[in-house]
Amino acid sequence: MVAGSQTEINLSIGFTDLNESLNELEDNDLDALMAALGSELDATEEKLRLNRLAGDQRRVSDSSRGQPLATPPTDHTEGEATLCPGEAETKADKIRIALEKLKEATIKKLVVRVWMVDGSNKTLMVDEKQTVREVLDNLFEKTHCDRSQDWCLCETNPELQIERGFEDHEYLVEPLSAWTRDSKNQIHFLLKPQKYALFKDPQERQFLSETKQKDKDILLRENFEGPSLKVPNLEGPLYVKEDGKKTWKRRYFLLRASGIYYVPKGKTKSSTDLVCFLQFDKVNVHTALDYRQKYKAPTDYCFVLKHPCIQKESAYIRFVCCEDEHCLSLWVNSIRVAKYGTRLYKSYQTAVRRALVPSSTLCLTPQSVSRPSTPSTTHKAPATANSYSHHSEQKQLATAPPAVEEDYLSEPPPDFIPPSPPGGRRNVV
Amino acid sequence: MAAWDLSVTVEELGPEAPPVKVTVTSDLHMGGVILRIVEKTQIKMDWSDHALWWEQKQQWLLKPSWTLDKCGIHADARLTLIAQRKPLRIILPNGLNLRLRACFSTPVFQTTIAVCHPLNIRHPEELSLLRPVEGTKNKKECSEEEVHDLTKLQYTSGPVLTLANGMPVHFAASPDTEAMYKMLSVSSPAPAPEAISKRCHPTGLVDKAQPQSRWLDSSRCLMQQGVQENDKLLLCFKYYCFRNLVPKYDAVRLTQLYEQARWAILLEDIDCTEEEMMLFGALQYHIDKVSQSEPQLRSSCTAMDDLDSALQLLEVKMETKSNTEDIMETMTVAPELHDYLKMLRPKRFTLKGYKQFWFTFKDTSISYYKSKEESLKEPIQQMNLKGCEVSPDVRVSSQNFCIKLLIPEPDGMNEVYLRCANELQYSNWMAACRLASKGKTLADSSFSSEVQNIQSFLAMQRTSSGTNITRTDESINPQSFVSTRYHKKYRDKQLMARILDAYQNVAHLSLTDALDKFLQIWQALPDFGVSYFVVRFKGCRKDEILGIANNRLLRIDLSTKEIVKTWRYNTMRQWNVNWDIQQVAIEFNGNVNIAFNCVTATCKIVHEYIGGYIFMSTRSREQSDTLNQELFYKLTDGRHLATI
Repeated sequence: MVAGSQTEINLSIGFTDLNESLNELEDNDLDALMAALGSELDATEEKLRLNRLAGDQRRVSDSSRGQPLATPPTDHTEGEATLCPGEAETKADKIRIALEKLKEATIKKLVVRVWMVDGSNKTLMVDEKQTVREVLDNLFEKTHCDRSQDWCLCETNPELQIERGFEDHEYLVEPLSAWTRDSKNQIHFLLKPQKYALFKDPQERQFLSETKQKDKDILLRENFEGPSLKVPNLEGPLYVKEDGKKTWKRRYFLLRASGIYYVPKGKTKSSTDLVCFLQFDKVNVHTALDYRQKYKAPTDYCFVLKHPCIQKESAYIRFVCCEDEHCLSLWVNSIRVAKYGTRLYKSYQTAVRRALVPSSTLCLTPQSVSRPSTPSTTHKAPATANSYSHHSEQKQLATAPPAVEEDYLSEPPPDFIPPSPPGGRRNVV
Repeated sequence: MAAWDLSVTVEELGPEAPPVKVTVTSDLHMGGVILRIVEKTQIKMDWSDHALWWEQKQQWLLKPSWTLDKCGIHADARLTLIAQRKPLRIILPNGLNLRLRACFSTPVFQTTIAVCHPLNIRHPEELSLLRPVEGTKNKKECSEEEVHDLTKLQYTSGPVLTLANGMPVHFAASPDTEAMYKMLSVSSPAPAPEAISKRCHPTGLVDKAQPQSRWLDSSRCLMQQGVQENDKLLLCFKYYCFRNLVPKYDAVRLTQLYEQARWAILLEDIDCTEEEMMLFGALQYHIDKVSQSEPQLRSSCTAMDDLDSALQLLEVKMETKSNTEDIMETMTVAPELHDYLKMLRPKRFTLKGYKQFWFTFKDTSISYYKSKEESLKEPIQQMNLKGCEVSPDVRVSSQNFCIKLLIPEPDGMNEVYLRCANELQYSNWMAACRLASKGKTLADSSFSSEVQNIQSFLAMQRTSSGTNITRTDESINPQSFVSTRYHKKYRDKQLMARILDAYQNVAHLSLTDALDKFLQIWQALPDFGVSYFVVRFKGCRKDEILGIANNRLLRIDLSTKEIVKTWRYNTMRQWNVNWDIQQVAIEFNGNVNIAFNCVTATCKIVHEYIGGYIFMSTRSREQSDTLNQELFYKLTDGRHLATI
């Protein structure tokens, strides 16, 4: 309880000593966490960790590396296996368990502090296999909130004055690993209506006037359920901060699936004239706060495109400024679609489903099993082992094509009146 | 009833032979007429495929029970007894020239289905036939072209049975047909740059509208549209909504679709940016290489192989040693690279040149030391390459092998150039850097293939840079992968560097994945799937462009190329065609009415396109296999079927 005042906004990644870091965590979850970690602590492991910490201090792997059967459940399965030796099946089991252990041994885990809307915070342990969706579910259970699809885990970077909502399919540990040791970055758990705005009101991106639910559905299906990615048609003037200068230059930008382009001076909008401003593979899109003051931007509606590793001001960050708030949300959300494609829509569908599930039944749904962060390690090994074997099965299925054509619909259903026969006649018999 | 003479020309008797005269009465049915003619010719053969064609009316008389009276045939009718199924030359999107038997009496829609059936192209409703470009040089080329005869292919009309490798059984009959199937299902090698520049390039929307006028009418038969025996027709994908593409079942369909897309891009039928063109180029190069080297390996199962080999390895270990700790040791020993390399940090504004250090590559990180002896100490610096950008700077001719790294760090990008001494060193380190940038280690199974990829690219540079070296068959010209615009813009070397840049992102893809990716990017282009027509809207004096896509109609200004207005099919109430004045009129929700005349194509083609797309959208999940042909005709025909 040393550095734990509410104003202290340090996130405890990158601690050097586990115990010290545990001291830093002051929260109701502390006990549960201690139980989880404590069960894995022993002398040999401590030794291993010390060795490894020299290399990567962020890594808090639990590691039964070299510890044959540390956890009860694996003990159990192993015991079963020895009961009927010689069988091919048990051998396969053994191999799977061993492989599983290998995997387990290198799983990266982080203890993160998540800030709530009311200013309080909660501490969670997240491992690298956990998606943001799973962490959100975890938080739903802890906070007993309304499970709306707008709940979001949002990363703030005070130094750059930017923030970004993590996408549900991301692995939370990944972006967090890019934070520096002395990072002032925070994670917030909050409602963000912008998160899935483009799916709730798809017509806004298309500048269409129709708002009937049926038409919305058609738009969604057309754009996001087809076999290929449909990037919103978006173009318009934006301001870009010029490299190394304080001025902002106005250019006409176009969004395409392959990146953001602008029209060079004196040229047309034709594809072959466009100049590539940026491609999406290695950048994330963040919204910026108060850039009129910080960078003398024309408006306060700015967004930033940067590599996840870059945490401080740099020439490699692209600063873009929009005319108004609507324009900003269009660009940010459309870039997300271009970058993530249909994954985003699938996450939205999951989020909607999750919002409908009453809290009492949620505990029985499979994800509570597959959630490896559950404090008790007792469930971990078998659960992950299952999911592992299941995984390989899926791969097998994926190579074999589906027998029936399913999960595919690219066009709108015919909801119009079939055309009347043409008025004129031909000289037919 | 009075008897009268009917003269019928019989094809089998030869073109010069006089018509056969039979005496008939008006209540004689067509079957009887044919029987009498056949008896009179005294030729013994299978006449079951023959039918009467009424030349003046351009009609088939296909109903054997109808009487002459009912058909309206009198003594002045000129009838011909001809075979309904005749050989036809079909050119596929990959340029393959096939000769196969097609029915000249069914509507083109059914003929297309029948043509696609033996080729094992599923969902033939998405394709159609169009006339080739008429040109003077065609005659010269005709003699050169190789024609593959498929008329003798024996197949059943039921569902196509396929072998394990996806080849239909009827192609397995002989080595010849097997080779033919390979030509159908494996994408053809990269075209020579001259082949790209020789074909016509559309320069504007009007040019792009031209091919649309060549589509055949789906509801009329080939005979009615003046197609003769052995005429050439192109078989192309017409409607850009490709239902349920499954690599295993759709080998031919996928390949032909890829070929059509490739040519659309090479000929700039569809516009794309330079970056996209380079990526298309890289994918073509990759597909080319993979499909030529191992055409049998259609699906990737590397992941499974990895697991299998890992399991086997583990199994061996477990049998020999029971100590788990040892296994962990052996399994976790990661391969490393170490060597003297030269390094330059261009960020600093100094005139310092490359400096030599001792480098080690482990996991995804590079560390460097002053010398090999100091490698046991702390490195001068360690750089994790995960997520970094790797680009080559290579000139084989001047023995320059550089790796440019752009390594992301919290306060920006760290620029590092590494210079290798020779090709081998370069390919190893480059491969390691590329894998590391994707978060993979040297232990990854793709390492050796990555090294090979780099080496083959170096070989490609060798052949294209040395102009005096005679090109072998394996040499690849980068100009084969991009449109002529870039032939002029870049020299070969520059072009290749650009393709190489794009290539590193796709080099790991399997053939199927690469094809899929190519089609995905193609479909994501803004202009994808729009067919253009020059039209004149009612009340307007100038020509405009009507774009027809799978879900909407576009009104495009001819001079600015801007989309003026978009109408979606789902807001469409009804549409009409006034055949007398060749005008299409469409009514949308909210009392929006448009009407236009077609300039480049007939309004039947436009009408059929709109109806066809609406038909495509009615293909629901449930009735996946049975095609509702009646609905297709209802939506595209524009009049009741006039077959007697």
